[in-house]
Amino acid sequence: MSLSINTAKNSNLALCPKCHKLNLLSDESAHEKIQCIRCHGFFNQRKSHSLQYTLAWNIAALIAFIPANLYPIMIIYSLGIGDPSTILSGIGQFVDQGLYPIAVIIFTASIIVPLLKIIGLFVLVYRAYTGIRLRPDKHSKFYHALEFLGPWSMLDVFVVALLVAVVELGFVTSVAAGPAINYFTLTVIFTMIAANSFDPRLLWDKKQNIE
Amino acid sequence: MDHLSNNIDTKQLIACLQCDALYDKPELKQGQSVKCLRCGSTMAERKVDSIERSFNWSLAGIFLLIPAILLPIMGVTLAGQYHHASLLDCIIVLIERGYYMIAVLVFLFAIAVPVVRLLGSFYITYSFKFNKLKPSLLHFFRAFHHLDNWAMLNVFMLGIVVSMYKLIDDTELSVNMGLLAFILWLISSTMASVALDPDYIWQKLEDEFVD
Repeated sequence: MSLSINTAKNSNLALCPKCHKLNLLSDESAHEKIQCIRCHGFFNQRKSHSLQYTLAWNIAALIAFIPANLYPIMIIYSLGIGDPSTILSGIGQFVDQGLYPIAVIIFTASIIVPLLKIIGLFVLVYRAYTGIRLRPDKHSKFYHALEFLGPWSMLDVFVVALLVAVVELGFVTSVAAGPAINYFTLTVIFTMIAANSFDPRLLWDKKQNIE
Repeated sequence: MDHLSNNIDTKQLIACLQCDALYDKPELKQGQSVKCLRCGSTMAERKVDSIERSFNWSLAGIFLLIPAILLPIMGVTLAGQYHHASLLDCIIVLIERGYYMIAVLVFLFAIAVPVVRLLGSFYITYSFKFNKLKPSLLHFFRAFHHLDNWAMLNVFMLGIVVSMYKLIDDTELSVNMGLLAFILWLISSTMASVALDPDYIWQKLEDEFVD
């Protein structure tokens, strides 16, 4: 990366995250909250304690992800007999029925994306903190992919909510949500907050400091 | 940190939101956008007819909102019994079964946030279209940006598709008008937010109300 590119931070400027207005900093305000001259919102030059917050939310997400996979997410009652299924066994049922595209979609949304997000954010925090083998161009693209994928993990929650509402035929058949749905939703929310707390500009700052 | 910074005119500069690189502000014509040389993300974009298009799409979205939420999306028939559910039914059933957290979150992500965003973009584009700009719009539009990541209509749509696949084997599935209304609502609210041009709106509000 060329060093010829100047950054807003080096020029004593801060970019408002909401309205994208550049604010000129006075010398003493560099580490305090800045009030944007355009939208009057308060912000920091870099998201404050970004790496710590990301790490903390990420650990919370990882913890919530364990019960999310162990408890049943949905219980199908037919003629009074309950058949609980976890996220993984639900995917297994789709595979058994030969519905591979749906199995792949659910597996991606419920298992791969949350795990990829949690592991990916750990790696990003580690890289941004230590600067070891840091490739800001690659890593910031990776971060945007994670940010984009986040909400799609809610898929399973919406599916369960729909099934519970639609399949309500009394004794014949009905669907109940299992305890895992709470934990799974928490996982998704926590990873979204973790991704929101991460500031990709720290990757570039670190790279510049090393060089 | 040099002392030239006192002479910087922030109106002539633009910074990349993703990597903080600083550039001279380009003059954009409608339909043009600028990409950051360092990280490749889009820094600013001047959208074609943004106010007009966003206004029309959000107006359409407001008309579709009520049917999309209240009309039944799909129904099942099994052993002579029939039951259907709308988007709102999903939330009511979750409350009845005691899943309060999931009910609140599904309500927020699939109803409240999309509705508020739609009404918000309607209000903003209405104010611009009919030249009723007020200083309070600065605060309103800043608050509007808080909701950027939390509308999940598209994920809910995929949830509908997946749950149809789940139901189609064991039951007789019927599709209701609510599905059509929901798809149209999804399209118009997505288009309304895609067409909205925040850079233009902020610039106009700044020219009008700041200094």
